[in-house]
Amino acid sequence: MDYKSGVCNFCGTGCGNYLNIQDGKVSGVFSSRNHPVSKGRLCVRGWHFHELLMTDHRISSPMIKVDGNFKNVSYDEAISFMMEKMAKYSDNAAEETAFLASPRSSNENNYLFGKLARSVFKTNNITLDSESGHRSSMNVLGEGAGFPGMTGSLEDISKTKFILVVGSDITKMNPIIGSEIHKAQMAGTKVVTISSRVTQIARLSNVHLQIKPGSKKSFLAAMAKAVIEENKLDADFVTASTEGFDGFATSVNKFNMTDVLSLTGIDSETIKQMAGELCSAESAMAFWSTGISGLDQDSVSYIYNLMLLAGKIGEENCGANPITGICNLQGGYDMGTAPDLLTGFQKLSDNDAAAKFEKSWGVKLNKDSGKDLYEMLADKNSKLKCLVVADHDEGIVKYSKEIEALEFVAYFGTFENPFVKFADVVFPIAGVIEDEGTYTNTERRVQLSRKRVEPFENVMPGWKLFPMIAAKASLSWKYSSPEDVFKEITSLTPSYSGMTYEKIEKSFGLQWPCNDKFPEGCKRLDGASAGRKFKFAPVTGSFAVPSASADYPILLIASQGQHFWHQNNIMKKTYIPKREYNATLLVYPKGYIEICKDDAAKLQVREHWNVKIVSSHGSMIVAVKISEDVKTGTAYVPYFIREMISSFLLEHNQEFDRGEDTIIPIRIERI
Amino acid sequence: MYLIEKNNVMKLAEELAKSYFLYGPVVDKETKQVFFNKVESASEISLTAEIPSIPPKTVVFPQIERILEYKYEKDSKKVQMNADFDTSSKALFGIRPCDLTGILVLDRFFMGLEFVDDVYLEHRKRMFIVSNTCTVPFKQCFCVCTDSGPAAEEGYDLNLTDLGDMYLVETGSDKGREFAEKMGLQKAGAEHTLEKKNAVDKSISLFEKLATDNKAWISRVMNRVTTGFIKDEVWEHIGKQCFECGACTFVCPTCSCFNIEDHNKFSGSTDRLRTWDSCSFEGYTKMAGDHNPRHPVEDRRNKRFFCKLSYSQSKKYLRPGCVGCGRCQWVCPGDIGLPNVVTYIRREITE
Amino acid sequence: MSDVQKRVVTIPEIATVVEVKDEIQDVKTFYLKFDNPEVDANFKIKSGQFVMLTVFGYGESAISLPPSPENDRFHLSVRKVGKVTDALHNLVAGDKVGIRGPFGNGFPFEEIKGKNIIYVAGGIGLIPLRSSIVHVLQNRKDFGRIIVLLGARTPNDLMYQNDIEEWLKIEGFECYVTVDQKTEGWKGETGFVNSLIEKANVPVENTVAFVCGPPVMFNSVIGDLMSRGLKDDCIISTLERHMKCGIGKCQHCAIGRTLVCTDGPVYTYKQIKTLGEVI
Repeated sequence: MDYKSGVCNFCGTGCGNYLNIQDGKVSGVFSSRNHPVSKGRLCVRGWHFHELLMTDHRISSPMIKVDGNFKNVSYDEAISFMMEKMAKYSDNAAEETAFLASPRSSNENNYLFGKLARSVFKTNNITLDSESGHRSSMNVLGEGAGFPGMTGSLEDISKTKFILVVGSDITKMNPIIGSEIHKAQMAGTKVVTISSRVTQIARLSNVHLQIKPGSKKSFLAAMAKAVIEENKLDADFVTASTEGFDGFATSVNKFNMTDVLSLTGIDSETIKQMAGELCSAESAMAFWSTGISGLDQDSVSYIYNLMLLAGKIGEENCGANPITGICNLQGGYDMGTAPDLLTGFQKLSDNDAAAKFEKSWGVKLNKDSGKDLYEMLADKNSKLKCLVVADHDEGIVKYSKEIEALEFVAYFGTFENPFVKFADVVFPIAGVIEDEGTYTNTERRVQLSRKRVEPFENVMPGWKLFPMIAAKASLSWKYSSPEDVFKEITSLTPSYSGMTYEKIEKSFGLQWPCNDKFPEGCKRLDGASAGRKFKFAPVTGSFAVPSASADYPILLIASQGQHFWHQNNIMKKTYIPKREYNATLLVYPKGYIEICKDDAAKLQVREHWNVKIVSSHGSMIVAVKISEDVKTGTAYVPYFIREMISSFLLEHNQEFDRGEDTIIPIRIERI
Repeated sequence: MYLIEKNNVMKLAEELAKSYFLYGPVVDKETKQVFFNKVESASEISLTAEIPSIPPKTVVFPQIERILEYKYEKDSKKVQMNADFDTSSKALFGIRPCDLTGILVLDRFFMGLEFVDDVYLEHRKRMFIVSNTCTVPFKQCFCVCTDSGPAAEEGYDLNLTDLGDMYLVETGSDKGREFAEKMGLQKAGAEHTLEKKNAVDKSISLFEKLATDNKAWISRVMNRVTTGFIKDEVWEHIGKQCFECGACTFVCPTCSCFNIEDHNKFSGSTDRLRTWDSCSFEGYTKMAGDHNPRHPVEDRRNKRFFCKLSYSQSKKYLRPGCVGCGRCQWVCPGDIGLPNVVTYIRREITE
Repeated sequence: MSDVQKRVVTIPEIATVVEVKDEIQDVKTFYLKFDNPEVDANFKIKSGQFVMLTVFGYGESAISLPPSPENDRFHLSVRKVGKVTDALHNLVAGDKVGIRGPFGNGFPFEEIKGKNIIYVAGGIGLIPLRSSIVHVLQNRKDFGRIIVLLGARTPNDLMYQNDIEEWLKIEGFECYVTVDQKTEGWKGETGFVNSLIEKANVPVENTVAFVCGPPVMFNSVIGDLMSRGLKDDCIISTLERHMKCGIGKCQHCAIGRTLVCTDGPVYTYKQIKTLGEVI
């Protein structure tokens, strides 16, 4: 049969699929009917996975830059070139060398990439690309519940009674999870969405609370306060299973309920009612997106604490559920591609853990935490000189000037990528389905993606390439397959220790922790067997929201477009999804700003007219799109149009770094 | 009409495999999902498997298909062009009546209108079709509402019906008769026709109990869809549930929209690919430098259901576009598979 | 159409670009010749039809045919609007392209014999109408008044100026031109093309109007013509839609129950009104 089962490689949902392989080539994709997550569904991206796998826009040969031009060379030459160039940073690698890992790489490749950084190039400056938002969620859940991952399970969505969706449009980012929530709603689950713009998930919810831009945290604090004041909290649970309630209650107490309407636009009665429904529901889940559009750590802490108050952590059909936007974002952190982590969220500073790695790897590790790459690039006094990058996913390179100024850049990637032009040496590596590898989805499900075709132009898989580099540094990494790498991972990672390729494949993946205690993995965090109390996460008591002023009377939300992943590099290698992402461009070639009818009338502008958007940082000209999805005083731009990003939005890097709520006060001028 | 013993029925497939590439329902060992696919050996085919998840239209209208390969050397201005049609002989063994109806709809569309589609024609020219009567309905089935089952009435070379120990083998073409004669099959009598009728009647009677997922009284809504007297709210209710994934189109045995792209290869030549497309996509009708004639998602949904359920479109296919297979219902991330849409419209009519 | 049907319709014929001419900004005209002499000799087209043009390595696009059936070299005038047409604009004499077609119904010349003919074109809307104008002028005696009303954004956006000068030499040919925004040296009219309807005092009895242009212009011109008393079945236009196959199969150009590629692209306004979608 031509159809071979596999895993979709786009977002963090981890849907099952079947690839149609004929004569060693991919020629189609189909959905997997019995897969526990996707149950026969795929989204527009998943239905065109084969288009990505068929592309010839690939890196086909190792290349080195000589006098500004790339020259094809052998792997061996490229490695020698790299080792020679990087030798001069070895004495001060902790300051001068950084690694940028990819949430798209398999666990095996990410593990080896981290191992390379720490053991061969002696640096802990390892950053997982663009995804600080997920780290915030991991910090909150890891510290609070001892469970750095989604505490619930996607399979339980259909069984939960109350769902709170905080922020961005899950139906566009992770459509199959959005579908699952929609189907639960149809079957009687109460779904409440809070967001500043009307999105599809908002339309599919029982209640949509259209809060003022930037006021999510205030809203969540108000919910928490309402739970406590109205005495709706699950007192037994809070007493028996949590600690730190008093501290949280003190912080929340600082929130003044009389401000709630002016801060969020939602009255306190509505908030009390929602709080009551959340607590009295038999089970409840909260969802929020992580990644580049994720929430800040404080907001995540409020969500988690709110769920603790309601007694909805560690219970059946419950969960605080961060949703990853990229296929192996969770796995990237699981593999320790972070300045301070080893695999499975073991701390680099933990002597026992580090000793285990030192023994296995046969090297001495530097136990001081490394630095975040983007902080280094932003820091004018940084000594960073050398950067090693894997599969940069974005089509737009942030900090491109700073990266261009670096002395040496190495790039490992599968597809042609705008990042390549910054590199001095480029290594092609085999892509998904050209190599075996495991990927960990948003619900901690580790799934195996089998090799189905031969690598493009004989490019090398990671498990062969990285050991070749280590060998040049006289380290002997002995793997005869990706499975060998996985065995090493499981031997060093308590939460993965019970997994094998065979077991994973038998059951559509295994959800960690999977070890002696949970040989079949864990669908969800189980309070009863957790062996510890859940801690309330520390929160700040500041509830400032961005405010408009006389000069800049409109709050601009910069967020996802109608389709997610607009400037994504791999999306541009497909046909139909690319066409869909570009569809809006045909109507608004230079981008658009969404404003409501009333604001358009006030400004005396019409649909399609060009206007000038002015902020304190700069200005841009875009077309007007009149929409019912935004409220008066609020405007929205999708950040997918190249000109808009480079000329205007990137000027607001700081706002972007704050996470999903990129709110920029602006005024709109007629031109 | 002929008979063949049950344990010999695969001999028909084995014989066909000698002169045709053999296709049929295959159950994936790992996940138990059923596909309709090319097989290496007749033994892979299951005649009792449920409706294949993927429609057999993939054989005549693949998800992605090269229709032309060319190479243009810019310096010497030389063009090499190879038409690349699949001219292989194919036998579809054990196709279900709904899916056979789907292929007949595609025949009328691709070969029956002003132009004959060369690519499709080549797939169909040398085909041998063995259909398989559904003596038991599956959960998702509603072919009794769409007049496309549980037994095939036309379009087959041979039709199999499970009569217990034997299969009744009906012939629907000269090719089928010659094949049955060549195989030396035993002749069937009038009592076997009656037995088949009873089996089909029994199957129909089982729908109420077994085929519980979907019902779609299509005839009741066709008039409404044709005349357009359906409230905007109904289309909005449908439109807001559309995740724009295209799945309903891809799994539909009668959907035939396609896209054409020139795919430049590393080798320097270009493949002209024809791929499945869906009218529910926003970019589907969008023109460069212009507005989109079909903007809101409700309108785009509306277009698909108009195509399936209006009299004017049905003229093209000589029947409604829906064959009652129920696939769109289980792949839909919203809740707007065709049977549900029919229910929404009916609900409005009743109200 | 039967002669087309017998051919394999999915494989392009190769043609050579013989000459490239700049028209207005973003519009060029490409003169083409089929490499196969047999195809070249038998390439019969009816004005109003279109071809599917392949730019090798970029893809295929539907292009309306401006040449008249007689005495006119096979050429295409194309505006740069997307990937394929952008690539086409980079071609020079000697380059090869692929051509499928012609497809579509074409203009109904037999039915309009003996009538007054009005052409109303906005901007590049003149491209699809040009072939009809050439045809009508070549058969001048078969028709009554022949009036061309032409609007453009600026004088630089006026198409086929040389042709118009040639046509003006033909007796009884009337042409009125206006621009939205005048530039220095423009001595002609300014204003929307609608204003010319009055100025030309266009007839409505025994008259057929061909209208082509952007949607706003299209709708207002039709409104004005109809308020003068022209019937909706005497107004003819040609619709442009995204097309992939040209033979009525891919369904990209479906509007309601019609397919622009096989039922059109030429429609009367009466038909357009029933299509159920905005133009």
